[in-house]
Amino acid sequence: MKPLHCRRMAALALLVLGTAQAADLGDILKGLVPDKKSAQAPAAPAGQAAPAAKPEDQLLQALLSGKTSVEEETRIGRQIAGNLLGAAPLVRDDSLQRYVNRVGRWVSLQSERPDLAWRFGVIDSEDINAFAAPGGFIFLTKGLYRRLHNEAELAGVLGHEIGHVLRKHHLKLLRKSQGIAALGGLLGGKMKDENQLLQNLIGNGAEIVARGLDKDAEYEADRIGVVLSARAGYDPYALPTVLADIGHVAKGDQRVSLLFKTHPQPEDRLGELAESVGNKLDGLPPGQNGDKRFYRLR
Amino acid sequence: MRRAFLLACLPALALAMGTPPQKPATTAAPQGRAATLLRDDDLRAEPDPGARSLLRLARGQKVRLLADRGGWSQLTAGGQTGWVRVLSVRAESDGADLAGIAQAASTPADPGRAVAVAGVRGLDEASLVGATFNGAELAWLEQFAMGRDEAVQFAQAADLAPRAMAYPVPPGGNVPAWRNEEP
Repeated sequence: MKPLHCRRMAALALLVLGTAQAADLGDILKGLVPDKKSAQAPAAPAGQAAPAAKPEDQLLQALLSGKTSVEEETRIGRQIAGNLLGAAPLVRDDSLQRYVNRVGRWVSLQSERPDLAWRFGVIDSEDINAFAAPGGFIFLTKGLYRRLHNEAELAGVLGHEIGHVLRKHHLKLLRKSQGIAALGGLLGGKMKDENQLLQNLIGNGAEIVARGLDKDAEYEADRIGVVLSARAGYDPYALPTVLADIGHVAKGDQRVSLLFKTHPQPEDRLGELAESVGNKLDGLPPGQNGDKRFYRLR
Repeated sequence: MRRAFLLACLPALALAMGTPPQKPATTAAPQGRAATLLRDDDLRAEPDPGARSLLRLARGQKVRLLADRGGWSQLTAGGQTGWVRVLSVRAESDGADLAGIAQAASTPADPGRAVAVAGVRGLDEASLVGATFNGAELAWLEQFAMGRDEAVQFAQAADLAPRAMAYPVPPGGNVPAWRNEEP
């Protein structure tokens, strides 16, 4: 191992060991880094772990410490979004894409992160699903869009995905698990450029969106979806309507296999939503459905 | 369409669940899916918050769910058929797999289904894991980026007015641990 690598490793090890969630990473490091080499590495005082860090190290460090800048978050999200689009391209319908961006952007303005570079897209797949990536990249499939009846339902679906971005659910997932893989890549000295580091951070292709989040993260995104669409002036019952509709799709239908694998059952999501929403929607003036303006697929 | 499908499944459901016929109405089997009230609510004559209340329902009450429509669920309870908000009732998930079997055996009722069956590869795990970066698509997406002003105009054109509403806390009031990391 080259001296430079040793130094970077030591700096990284210090950083990693200094984070609350890194006990398991520390164990892995022990197994990967020979003790002798660690001892020979120049001692990097705590707090000075980063000064010699190269940009790619900074990104990893930011992720592991849970302090990604918006710019870093967006870089990670772009890589995931680009990979997802490698699996399925966007529907070639300018009017559809523009419409979805208008609705999504309006809903995002009701959130606590209105200034992110929000991007919305409908991807060409008959699957029934929707995806979010850090930094504000939101996608839904043509298969899901086809099931929607009005603009309020679209707003609810987009609001759910916006919720994942607001709460940085995928960054937290990466921090917990993919950090280990990135570390492995760094140890192997394979890191040639930033794109490669980014890819190592997020795993293979767009697998992060296939892995599924904690069910509490999904329930939270449901609550946020209802609230954001209500704030935006839409019927807040639209997202529950979509969930109920998805619950009617046969469990064995291949179009929902990934959705059902990565999300709690629709019945559980509705139940959880009902418990948390309680009577909070009762006094709210009825929102709009936007069914007249809703863009229908050709 | 969905209600018709549900009705078509009734014999299969009844057979598999071994439920004896309860209240012979149009069929011998109990209608709809088993469901439970999640809160006290009115069973309304129409799917409208201003509609006449037929019956007061209590949290925990067992009902039969007939259909979902635009944020409302149609159900039967105490011999009456009416509507409650979709978030007031929770369907038991028991019947779902049976419904799936019944649907698989029937003609596809959904336009998308035929395509999926015809072999278009879905967004499954393998295709996502194996996906490679598509910069051209990402660049194409960029052109639809929407500015704040344009989004506001779009909302105003439909008289969508912003409203205040706080995020509700999860059931039990437990804030997940990862929530504490938020600034």
